[in-house]
Amino acid sequence: MSARGALLRLEQLEVVYQKVVTAIQGVSLEVAEGQIVALLGSNGAGKTTTLRAITGFLGVDDARVTDGRVWFEGRSIENQPPQLVAHQGIAIVPERQKVFETLTVTENLEATVPGAGTTRAEQRRRVERVFEHFPRLHAARRRLAGYLSGGERQMLAIGAALLCTPRLLLVDELSQGLAPRIVENLLERLVELRKELGLTVLLVEQSAHVALQVADHGYILENGRVVLDGTPQRLREHKDVQEFYLGQAGGGERRSYRDVKQYRRSRRWYG
Amino acid sequence: MQTVANIAVLVAIYALIGSGYVLIYRVSRVLNLAQGELMMLVAYLLFSLATLFGGHPASALAGAVLLSLLVGLVLYVVLMRRMTGELVIAAVLVTIALGILLRGLMVLVWTGQMARPLEKLGWQNSPLALGHGVALSSVAVTTIFVAIAIYVGLFVFFRYTAWGVRMRAVGENPLLAAQRGIKLHVAYAMAWALATFSGGCAGMLLALDSGLDGTMAIIGLKAFPVVLVGGLDSLRGAIVGALIVASAEVLAIQLIDPLVSDVVPFVVLIAMLAVRPWGLFGTEEDIQRV
Ligand SMILES: Nc1ncnc2c1ncn2[C@@H]1O[C@H](COP(=O)(O)OP(=O)(O)OP(=O)(O)O)[C@@H](O)[C@H]1O
Ligand SMILES: [Mg+2]
Repeated sequence: MSARGALLRLEQLEVVYQKVVTAIQGVSLEVAEGQIVALLGSNGAGKTTTLRAITGFLGVDDARVTDGRVWFEGRSIENQPPQLVAHQGIAIVPERQKVFETLTVTENLEATVPGAGTTRAEQRRRVERVFEHFPRLHAARRRLAGYLSGGERQMLAIGAALLCTPRLLLVDELSQGLAPRIVENLLERLVELRKELGLTVLLVEQSAHVALQVADHGYILENGRVVLDGTPQRLREHKDVQEFYLGQAGGGERRSYRDVKQYRRSRRWYG
Repeated sequence: MQTVANIAVLVAIYALIGSGYVLIYRVSRVLNLAQGELMMLVAYLLFSLATLFGGHPASALAGAVLLSLLVGLVLYVVLMRRMTGELVIAAVLVTIALGILLRGLMVLVWTGQMARPLEKLGWQNSPLALGHGVALSSVAVTTIFVAIAIYVGLFVFFRYTAWGVRMRAVGENPLLAAQRGIKLHVAYAMAWALATFSGGCAGMLLALDSGLDGTMAIIGLKAFPVVLVGGLDSLRGAIVGALIVASAEVLAIQLIDPLVSDVVPFVVLIAMLAVRPWGLFGTEEDIQRV
């Protein structure tokens, strides 16, 4: 991928929690304008940390980008406060605590600060559009978000993130808590939105099936490092990916858990 | 009946001061322990403005109200802003220091002697007969109406305006709020401005009714049990807390001894904490975060 056209570029990123815990190290990746890029990895690989490094930390997080750069539209934005990052056009659907539980569904949407120059009427129209896409939310619009189901929360979080009129949308575990059909729908919506609004998406997923279905490019994160990247085609063909992310046996029968650990270890040492 | 009227006035005062605690706590999880000193400061500012513009009481009052908003704003920008996103306990300590500092400054500037802004404004605090043998001073009656007006205003603000909703969002989850583009500093600054405004109104009304001296900050402290009883993050709770504490206080004064009045709020508080540590309307998990 060429550096030109990259909307977002991470350069040798390193994030340290509580001044001692290094969560990711030397992570480099690129997301070109209009692309959907998948970031895959098992639990604790550093996917959430990577997204958080892009959207910025608060003082209480006690986390910092200690090395490397985050380039967005040619500006370096690492260690900026989250609201400034949001104003530059990056929205996130977080992994946890993704809605304001003490606010109603409608209030959740209204609290969102739209992109600069959005009129009140325009904003109201957008809220209506979110309700059109997610009729379940419309039915629950007066309820407190704290009483929503996991899937409904996910819909609300995606709706609210889109109301920020982002140029880049970060989604931490899109399929979390959602019925397979809804996930299909959402993925279709994302592809549509990309065409419609020129939206660019960085998708974190546990399920490689889901992510590789729509992605233009994929990265695989292990123990805080990028160990593999390529087109979905190439990733799907890769033996390790088939085995550990697509749940297929690498040729013949499925290997045991010990082999998985072995794989992890080898990744840690040689990846 | 007179007892009910007295309770109503005290409820209004406590509810006003209490709303100041609640506003800041609700939005930033910070307990502003300088609330009493701040209401006193606003009362003294009114006194000085009344001295300056003796002939124009309305402009003196309007000026004091504007100053109360400004004081909160400036305090946030100068002092509390750098605490944003840091640990809450550090911010609470800063407010304690601020209270001590303000008390010292006020003694230096206004000597701590009894000051009567009402006289400077050239107004009379004539008693109003309310029928059934009940009488309240006109300032006391005004206090009740001001408290109602401010509470209605606050409820409308938090329920129906974009920034009101955003302030609630910030209070629940500052990180998510920031990620949704809400400027945390604006929300916090507005909370501080509103809190000094409503607390300041209580201070001004108290000073107009019965004058002010160095002891007014104590009343601010007495309102602290009010919000703890009601639950720190709830305006409705502040009203109910004010009702309970004010009733207990007025009844204790009448039935036992006027001297116990300063202790009553804290007795109520201790009784309350034993039963429901998070207050009547508070969120249970909140207390753990303090
Ligand atoms: N607040 C924190 N303080 C200290 N360490 C943390 C913190 N958050 C994450 N970590 C560590 O950083 C590493 C990466 O965590 P991260 O949440 O980014 O993983 P992830 O890939 O999102 O995992 P999952 O798929 O389970 O969500 C983990 O080893 C975790 O223990
Ligand atoms: Mg994660």
